Amino acid sequence: MSPAPAALLLAGLAAAALLADRIVSVAAIAAVLFVVCLRGPAGRRRLYLVGALGSGLAVFVVTPFVSQIGYHVLWSGPTIPVFGTLDVTREELRIGLFQGLRLTAVALAFAAYALLLDHDRLVQAAGFARRSVLAVALATRLVPTLERDASGLSEALRGRGVEVTGVRGRATLLAPLLAGSLERALNLAEAMEARGYGRPGATRAPRPGWTALDKAAVTLGIAAIAIGALWL
Amino acid sequence: MALARVSGLSFSYPGGHEALRSVSLALEPGEVVALLGPSGGGKSTLLRALAGLVPHFHGGRFAGRVEVGGLDTRRVRPADLAGTVATLFQDPEDQAVFTRVAAEVQFGLENLGTPPAEIRPRAEEALAAVGALHLAERPVAELSGGELQRVCLASTLALRPQLLLLDEPTSQLDPDGAAAAIELARESGAAVVVSEQRPERVLEAADRVLFLAEGRLLDEVPGAWLPREAVVPEADPGGEPLCRLDKVSFAYGAVPVVQERSLQVGRGEIVALVGPNGSGKTTVAKLAAGLLEPQAGRVVRDGRACYLSQDPGRYLVRERTDEEVALAVGGDLERARAALAQVGLAGFDERHPRDLSSGERERLALAAVLVADPDLLVLDEPTRGVDPPRKDDLAALLRAQAARRATLVVTNDLVFAGEVADRCVSTVAREAVLA
Repeated sequence: MSPAPAALLLAGLAAAALLADRIVSVAAIAAVLFVVCLRGPAGRRRLYLVGALGSGLAVFVVTPFVSQIGYHVLWSGPTIPVFGTLDVTREELRIGLFQGLRLTAVALAFAAYALLLDHDRLVQAAGFARRSVLAVALATRLVPTLERDASGLSEALRGRGVEVTGVRGRATLLAPLLAGSLERALNLAEAMEARGYGRPGATRAPRPGWTALDKAAVTLGIAAIAIGALWL
Repeated sequence: MALARVSGLSFSYPGGHEALRSVSLALEPGEVVALLGPSGGGKSTLLRALAGLVPHFHGGRFAGRVEVGGLDTRRVRPADLAGTVATLFQDPEDQAVFTRVAAEVQFGLENLGTPPAEIRPRAEEALAAVGALHLAERPVAELSGGELQRVCLASTLALRPQLLLLDEPTSQLDPDGAAAAIELARESGAAVVVSEQRPERVLEAADRVLFLAEGRLLDEVPGAWLPREAVVPEADPGGEPLCRLDKVSFAYGAVPVVQERSLQVGRGEIVALVGPNGSGKTTVAKLAAGLLEPQAGRVVRDGRACYLSQDPGRYLVRERTDEEVALAVGGDLERARAALAQVGLAGFDERHPRDLSSGERERLALAAVLVADPDLLVLDEPTRGVDPPRKDDLAALLRAQAARRATLVVTNDLVFAGEVADRCVSTVAREAVLA
């Protein structure tokens, strides 16, 4: 499948998850996207899956404690200033689950985009807003680039006999990783300018036309938005 | 008529010292100019000035005039000079925009408004010219340093510029690849300015030589930069074995990189590991240092091993250079400062590692591993970006400390290998080393 229709399909599924108002519908969309993400490279998908599922779980856990909805109290805790009485109701759990699944579905759609799509072809396919698409593609590369940099820093430290362990040890790598990515961004911007980026009259390499599968994906993506808004 | 003319160019980076001082030169169409000089001497700045990136991209104080193809670089944006000028930067890792090789080479052609039907054939032609057509569909992130350098060279050649600026284009290439790259640049018909720290092949191909030190063009090239012959050392293995690889194999995914390789390094000897790009030199080095575990065979090590990565950017974890170096010795700043002095960085203790020049970063990285005084020292391309006098210093330092340890040096620099090593081991047949 071409990357542009695939991106549109993923965007359609994410939009459907945001528009749907039934838990089972959102759960089904999240499950489909989860299975799609499993096709990503084993070494890279773990980070994305942990991020998507972890953020959804965090929303599910936190929501009952920060909202005051419902009358079917399942647990009642202490009273805390500003927050009031900490309690958990059946309605709060339902809302927490719903919002958590929504976030998970959207995050999984992004994970599938980052893991499975050929961003180069996506940029090349962009007939308009090419700069914006290139910026998004470069931003998407940030995560794998940081992964690689972190692994390189960690390896260089091991090469000096310094083991990076635990959350604290890994946290020490954050500042150099950030500084390194800023430095790289400057170098990259310079290299892009030297290669004529931003000149008027840019052209594109010819790209293959859409196949029947691509057209079906676009149709399905649009249909997913409509179905999500009207029936799910 | 000159293709490019630099008249009385002086330039200082914002808040920095004067990087170029009253530089004047003219470049004729089709000529090949070797640009030599010490690290930090202004070579990269001069190339950036010819590309218009200085001052447009970097800011700073600019005096004098630079004209390329009749255009004043202060009045024309670097992007508008692209095509007339093409630049290959020092660090290939930081100039790849796209994730796949083919798209990367096509990027410049698209920006220049090349007719769509010509883009793919020209990109393929450039990749074929550098011997990298087989890499066209590979992800950039999976390329070795040498392969990436070829791809970046293809990206510049594809533009068919009138002026080709090459900043250490062979720093990660094996000798054959380096010779081919220089020859290719020469055959392109463009005027070529090539900055190099391995001057042998460049001087063979160059029509003339410029020597830039402390921002000034000098009339004569100092002796240390003159070509030297590579002599492959052939001593027998010796010393108490501190590292032994017995028929080790390693593959990245399904791609076998090292197959049944054996190697021994003894205390007191320096072994140079040479071979073509992609032949598994770095993997062997990491196996020897214990950073990778072999998938078959075994590695026996005695004592502490330290490994110097190819990329000095990986030694920029702390906020001060002495603290960076002290990481390997439990924060002992006295030892760290002594190690910094050993590599010529005395007085740099409080500097931020990111404020150092690329040559200084190389030396910082070296200090960061030497400080531990390891029994086995593994150095992966320690002369990348290092000028010839500094290479001599490095060779002398390693030789002076050789008796204390076993040293394995991975290098594409056969002259350096000949000067530092007791023996040379190749990842391919021995005859290929000298070819």
